Amino acid sequence: MGRAGSSTTHATAHRLLLAVCLVVLGMTAPVTLQGAQGAQGSNDVAVVVHPSIPIDNLSLGELRRLVLGDRGFWPASVRVSLMLRAPVAHERDVILRVVCQMTEAQFRQHWIAKVFRADAAVAPKIVYSSEMSVDMAAQIPGAITFVDASRVGKNSKVLKIDGLLPGDKGYVLR
Amino acid sequence: MGHSLMTKSLVDAAGVRVTLALAAWLMSPHLAAAQGAMARPSPPAAAAAQAGQGQPADHDQPPLGVTEYPSLHLSGFADIDFADQPKAEGPRGFSEGQFVLHVASALSPRANFFGELSFTPRADAGTGSPPATGFNAEVERLIIRFDQSDRFKVSFGRYHTPVNWWNTAFHHGQWLQTTISRPEMIQFGGRFIPVHFVGGLVEGSLPAGGLNVNYQAGIGNGRGNVISRAGDAGDNNARPAWVLNLFAKPDALFGLQVGGSVYLDRVAAASGVEFNERITAAHVVWQREDPEVIAEIAHVHHEQVNATLSGSSLAYYLQAAYRLPGLGRTWKPYYRFEHLDIDAGDPVFAGIPNLDGTTIGVRYDISMYAAIKAEARLRRRGDDRPRANGGFLQIAFTF
Repeated sequence: MGRAGSSTTHATAHRLLLAVCLVVLGMTAPVTLQGAQGAQGSNDVAVVVHPSIPIDNLSLGELRRLVLGDRGFWPASVRVSLMLRAPVAHERDVILRVVCQMTEAQFRQHWIAKVFRADAAVAPKIVYSSEMSVDMAAQIPGAITFVDASRVGKNSKVLKIDGLLPGDKGYVLR
Repeated sequence: MGHSLMTKSLVDAAGVRVTLALAAWLMSPHLAAAQGAMARPSPPAAAAAQAGQGQPADHDQPPLGVTEYPSLHLSGFADIDFADQPKAEGPRGFSEGQFVLHVASALSPRANFFGELSFTPRADAGTGSPPATGFNAEVERLIIRFDQSDRFKVSFGRYHTPVNWWNTAFHHGQWLQTTISRPEMIQFGGRFIPVHFVGGLVEGSLPAGGLNVNYQAGIGNGRGNVISRAGDAGDNNARPAWVLNLFAKPDALFGLQVGGSVYLDRVAAASGVEFNERITAAHVVWQREDPEVIAEIAHVHHEQVNATLSGSSLAYYLQAAYRLPGLGRTWKPYYRFEHLDIDAGDPVFAGIPNLDGTTIGVRYDISMYAAIKAEARLRRRGDDRPRANGGFLQIAFTF
């Protein structure tokens, strides 16, 4: 009975040790994984808006003003409803790095200051998945959000940025 | 070549998944045992967490992403300070800074309310009859604004006067500004520039081919009988104050803001004699943190009504800061030089000393919402006065 208990303990210890080794091995691999994604040239981020928004193209400067809250209305005087993915999402990383040229901390401080200065009453809404982003952009008038181009639905309205769509050569949101 | 590389990467990625899955399988009995009697989240709770609300699903709440009016947003700022300086310059030792509450509420898609309340510790707390309270409570800003479009917004209330960039950029949020101290030309309770403005304002922005020209034009009560205060309870004369502020934020130079402003008012000196006041100011700001550069200049001209007495005073400052790269990114050293040249013959500014001041310091961001700042101030208030230097520490945060 005692030997059986000792044998079980040893087996458990071996399994735990093996698991730790495999996890450590696994943690070294994401670099390779990212390399594969980069080689595919995927991960373009699409700018998705409510279908009623009466424009098809934005310059990078116009997009920056929207994301930083300097512009609060679409041409038809419809209030902009800005929705961003939560931190660490790829879409948010791209928007902060390419469009805002800010770190996460700088972006948060920018919006705290924006509301504090009475320039804007509300900060961007946070969405937690691509599906949620697409759904909300389709439902909320004035909505603008950012979605991995591979997850954009057929009925979504995608804006060009400086005349280019996701997948085009020279598209900046990647 | 590229294909083989990609294939290798994908094979590696698949290997990683298998490895992690195997690890998870090996660990699973122990994880399950460790979890023990912990309740598993129910599907509705998990769905709510997925929606980012952090609250259970509630049929009374509006759908996610839809704003319900009024939508109240409360935030705050506070700071704790330590100072070692001559007594005449201000408090010494530890002191509570301002406790500031900020409310923002969207009343409809086009109407918004903003308010800022401050609680400032009093040096005379507990003295007098009835005893003075421990804190001064002040409505710093109270604004209701109607937004027609980006080009036209109209508001009414109590503002920080848009005649100076710093005054409208940081307000009472010490955490927002890089330094501990404000420039003396726009010091709270100071007299050089009117910090507050009670009245109405129209504002907007025009794309202007990527220049992004913004305007603010206002009419209000101007300075009160105590010229460091606004006319909260009404104008003290029949002449309103006017302010016009123009600035550009060009797309091509993201981070740059250049602008200027004019402010016109009629003010009364302590003697009761009235003066026409004209303030002209300009600013250049590079708002990126690598580097951050702020330069402002203001000229204040007073001219006695129906007389020839006049006076002109000038103030400016230049501040530079740099957020260090890489591992040092939580550190931001800074430097500021400021100058006040007060016309000794100007009765409105009687008693305000000249200043040549240098501020050197460093800001360390403890977290995303809190910072520690340390600075030294070297000040000379006129050739006939001794230097008034000091060392300061501050913990500032937002909540």
